[in-house]
Amino acid sequence: MGTADNRRPSARRIARVAAWFGAGVLLAPGAAAAAAAPGVSVIAPRQELVVLLGPHTVHRAPTAGAPTVAVVSAARPLTGERTTLPVLGQHTDSLGRPWLQVRLPGRTLTGRRPPSTGWITTTATRRARTDWHILVTIDDRRVRVYRRGRLLRTYRAIVGAPTTPTPRGDYFVEENLRLPGTRRGAPYALALNARSRVFQTFDGGPGQIALHGQGNLGGKLGTASSHGCVRLTAPAITWLAARTRPGVPVTIE
Amino acid sequence: MAVGCVLLTGASAGSAAAAQAPVGLGTAASFAILAGSAVTNTGPSTINGDLGVTPSATVTGFPPATVNGTVHAADAVAAQAQADLTVAYDDAAGRLPPEAVPADLGGMTLTPGVYRAAAGLGLTGALTLDALGDPDAVFVLQAPSTLITASDSRMTLINGAQPCNVFWQVGSSATLGTSSQFSGNILADTSISMNDSVVLAGRALARNGAVTLINDTITAPHCTTPTAGTSTTGPTTAPAGGAAPAPTGTPAGTTTADSITARGKTGAGPSAGNAAAGAGTARLSPVVPAIAMLVRQRGLTTCIRRGFAVAVTGRFIRRVTFTVGGKRVATRTHSPFQAIITQPGGMRTVRAHVLFSDGTAARTLSWRYRSCLAAAGTAQRRVGSPSRRPTGNGGFTG
Repeated sequence: MGTADNRRPSARRIARVAAWFGAGVLLAPGAAAAAAAPGVSVIAPRQELVVLLGPHTVHRAPTAGAPTVAVVSAARPLTGERTTLPVLGQHTDSLGRPWLQVRLPGRTLTGRRPPSTGWITTTATRRARTDWHILVTIDDRRVRVYRRGRLLRTYRAIVGAPTTPTPRGDYFVEENLRLPGTRRGAPYALALNARSRVFQTFDGGPGQIALHGQGNLGGKLGTASSHGCVRLTAPAITWLAARTRPGVPVTIE
Repeated sequence: MAVGCVLLTGASAGSAAAAQAPVGLGTAASFAILAGSAVTNTGPSTINGDLGVTPSATVTGFPPATVNGTVHAADAVAAQAQADLTVAYDDAAGRLPPEAVPADLGGMTLTPGVYRAAAGLGLTGALTLDALGDPDAVFVLQAPSTLITASDSRMTLINGAQPCNVFWQVGSSATLGTSSQFSGNILADTSISMNDSVVLAGRALARNGAVTLINDTITAPHCTTPTAGTSTTGPTTAPAGGAAPAPTGTPAGTTTADSITARGKTGAGPSAGNAAAGAGTARLSPVVPAIAMLVRQRGLTTCIRRGFAVAVTGRFIRRVTFTVGGKRVATRTHSPFQAIITQPGGMRTVRAHVLFSDGTAARTLSWRYRSCLAAAGTAQRRVGSPSRRPTGNGGFTG
């Protein structure tokens, strides 16, 4: 069962998270100053999101003439849920058109290392926001859940084995799946835009990383023994899945 | 009634001015003939579209008649179409505000709107439907009892009017006279009888009774986007020379909307609608084409479950103010001129007031749809789990 422990993000973690939000996401008042002070929680209270109402061409820069780096569909491939992306920055071009810098989904993009960010126009989009944030710490094998910048829960987890590590970085929840009891990782999975750096395909998927349960997998909590995903107990992933919508940022460090 | 007669007799143009959404036919739209008790034919009739009958399964006279479509006799498809027809019939019968018309429509020119006769409707001679350049213009004609056309009667559709957007709601039965050329979707509560050599550009949809044919031709129409200024005479498309003074192509300064439920309304002031006032154009439509397509095909019998974006596109647009139900949603002063529509369930009309930078008179566009979006509060909270069952294959790295 999760507990609100007294452990706080390290200075390195603080710097990473602060850098992520520096591109346009709202910071808590005084968060920038707090970022340099270990022992103070600096998870930003909210994350700006954009919901795609239609397919979008992603550009490398916020101009129509910039190279196209990807095309993102309006629906996610596993559930059909609308694509929701974190917004990292905004820009208005010389023609007055607003652009958004977004973090990109990983599953539908081609290439072993697809681009992680890009620019889209605001056409056929809807703005949203979330005040949830998930922090996965590989070193202590724990998942911390924040809301409005405050730590709500800490769960022990199973992370990737040394040969199949959980990739560190800044990601987000692409889809929230309710898995049948026969599926590995049941009962729930929070599919991330992160991909394994070892597996290009796995279990019929493109090596997609997820936070999920231990159904049909097992493993011992607090160990580094998974193929890259983050496994949580059924109560933990159930609690998390009931509160997590697409677009929620996930930091793995 | 007397007022209606004064306005509508002779060659004058009558107008039941409220912009109407089309009557959504649902799955009945694929049918050229739909009946409740029987479909009976004599002679080599031609049916372009599906034929259905339910709950009865009686279809006689095929051949010699030809059906360029599928025959559904007492099957689930026909049953669903009948159910959709009932919805459409009730929709058409309830359209407001109706303008009174005399019992005989011969010699009249009607503009888009809703018209109702005191009892039965008849047609002797010619009836002209003038869409005023709007290919999405809808005509709803309500006959509380019968619809009867005389032999050799004609209908002429001008200025973009389309048979697909003409709806005849008939309280009892319809009878089309010998060699008459008729346009529109006949939604009859009881039966439809077509005498010899009738050409119908439309649908014969009878809820309870029979559809009877004698050497007739029925073609289920599909909406297109014709150029303003053309006309359709009877069931066949042909230019009506001199029938309408409208210019070819979309006139400068006009405002159109890309939906079967959309209407462009001129702004206030005497210059409104004057094409010479400027070259500004504007068009209101949902950003996602599938939504426009859905409403275009099914009208208001279906509802849109999610929020969506609408956009105004065109030339010389300076500012667009979007409202829904009189409440301002957004004001845009630069491209893209769009707004997100998230109003909860019910009939909704999106309006876009467009100002132009070149002196073109302001326009107000509207687009009507039915929403079944949950109320904002519940939508935000989304009762229940946000998790979804996977529909695609592929797992995770475990």
